[in-house]
Amino acid sequence: MAAVKRAYLAVYNWAVFFGWAQVLYFAVDALLRSGHEGVYAAVERPLQLAQTAAVLEILHGLVGLVRSPVSATLPQIGSRLFVTWGILWSFPETRTHILVSSLVISWSITEIIRYSFFGTKELFGSAPSSLLWLRYSSFLVMYPTGISSEVGLIYIALQFIKASEKYCIRMPNKWNYSFDYFYASILVLLVYVPGSPHMY
Amino acid sequence: MKVSVVSRSGREVVKGGIELKDSAKVADLQEAIHAKTKKYYPARQRLTLPAQPGKSGKPVVLSQKASLSEYCEKGSGSLTVVFKDLGPQVYYSTLFFWEYVGPLIIYPIFYYLPVYKYFGYEGERVIHPVQTYAMYYFCFHYFKRIMETFFVHRFSHATSPVSNVFRNCAYYWTFGAYIAYYCNHPLYTPVSDLQMKIGFGIGVVCQIANFYCHILLRNLRSPTGSGGYQIPRGFLFNIVTCANYTTEIYQWLGFNIATQTVAGYVFLAVAAAIMTNWALGKHSRLRKLFDGKDGQPKYPRRWVILPPFL
Repeated sequence: MAAVKRAYLAVYNWAVFFGWAQVLYFAVDALLRSGHEGVYAAVERPLQLAQTAAVLEILHGLVGLVRSPVSATLPQIGSRLFVTWGILWSFPETRTHILVSSLVISWSITEIIRYSFFGTKELFGSAPSSLLWLRYSSFLVMYPTGISSEVGLIYIALQFIKASEKYCIRMPNKWNYSFDYFYASILVLLVYVPGSPHMY
Repeated sequence: MKVSVVSRSGREVVKGGIELKDSAKVADLQEAIHAKTKKYYPARQRLTLPAQPGKSGKPVVLSQKASLSEYCEKGSGSLTVVFKDLGPQVYYSTLFFWEYVGPLIIYPIFYYLPVYKYFGYEGERVIHPVQTYAMYYFCFHYFKRIMETFFVHRFSHATSPVSNVFRNCAYYWTFGAYIAYYCNHPLYTPVSDLQMKIGFGIGVVCQIANFYCHILLRNLRSPTGSGGYQIPRGFLFNIVTCANYTTEIYQWLGFNIATQTVAGYVFLAVAAAIMTNWALGKHSRLRKLFDGKDGQPKYPRRWVILPPFL
């Protein structure tokens, strides 16, 4: 049983590693070839796939397959999915911004190191200390650049969110409910303030 | 006897320890610690026996009313207690009052004052009867809670950390405003008259039942007692351990059936989850304590909080 668990986790980690490696490759390629405006179009599919696959990690935590507490993985994955689907995919006007490049590169480098670390651990029982070192030292740069890119892109998207009525529910309705995506996004931005140091 | 008071890291909290009469109670020790340390009043002190090497499990907490000699190592006439500072404390009655007074004031603000103007809704507001009843119901509920806090409940540990004031008030006041906003909205859509009556009917019945549950729980504790556990009996307690939480949950359900807002249902879900957490703890504590051994009665088979689920 433990062997099946390890095999599954090994496959999972290396598969997602491969996804992020693709993202990094396509991003750098597009950057060199056509400039930052073309980066999103080049990475969209592998980015969405690799990022959304991370939802499985919440499941892994819930069923006890991995030790990470759900309370730590949930906000992390939540913010990633919000930016990937709720901002970039939903509001194409943001896609050509240069922050997309910094975002995608920060995320992919972090994830490549992280998934190869866990993939190596599952496959060989342990990971080289150099990989652990790489994980924690690259995080020192990638976490701030990643967070800044996330916050920056959400901020830029605000004007487009307000102008469109996307994802908004207005009164009156029989469930007496309303939802304003613009104000919700502002709330998310505010949460980044105490949330970022907490998640670090 | 000599009592040495150490912190969890082993450092002496009171240099040289404390000399007390052999007949001294734990409360006397607490007073002495307070006198020696000035800032650690008894409610801030958590005193436990040192963990036995090799034995695991939770440390023994010293009970305020007990004699110190009960905790002494056999025949030694001396005692070491481990001290933990619980931080600045407030009385539970203070905490509960501030939590509950928020919704009591906030909800009528949305009902009576022209707040929706600031959300962009100009013009006359038509108030439906259900909105008026909802306001009275909601406010009565929190008024009842405040009254129960001062006149009904008997608390086992009289205080709670100060930080809980901010956390708990944020919870109650935010949800109060969230629900009040939608229930009093100018574009509010009422449900049918029948549904409203059923909802408030359930709510009122369950609030009365809830009050009765609180009276029964109160009578389990004597006014001078330091708390401690009894098997709750009578009324719904015969079927459900935390009947007080059960009636509270159903009471909110009644309110939501009558007012039908997503905000209200979200609050119901969160409140139910929190109470279920508490109920599971209480139920398991009672079953562990009343295990049928050493003259203790055996805790009867009962639902925890929400039959037929839990």
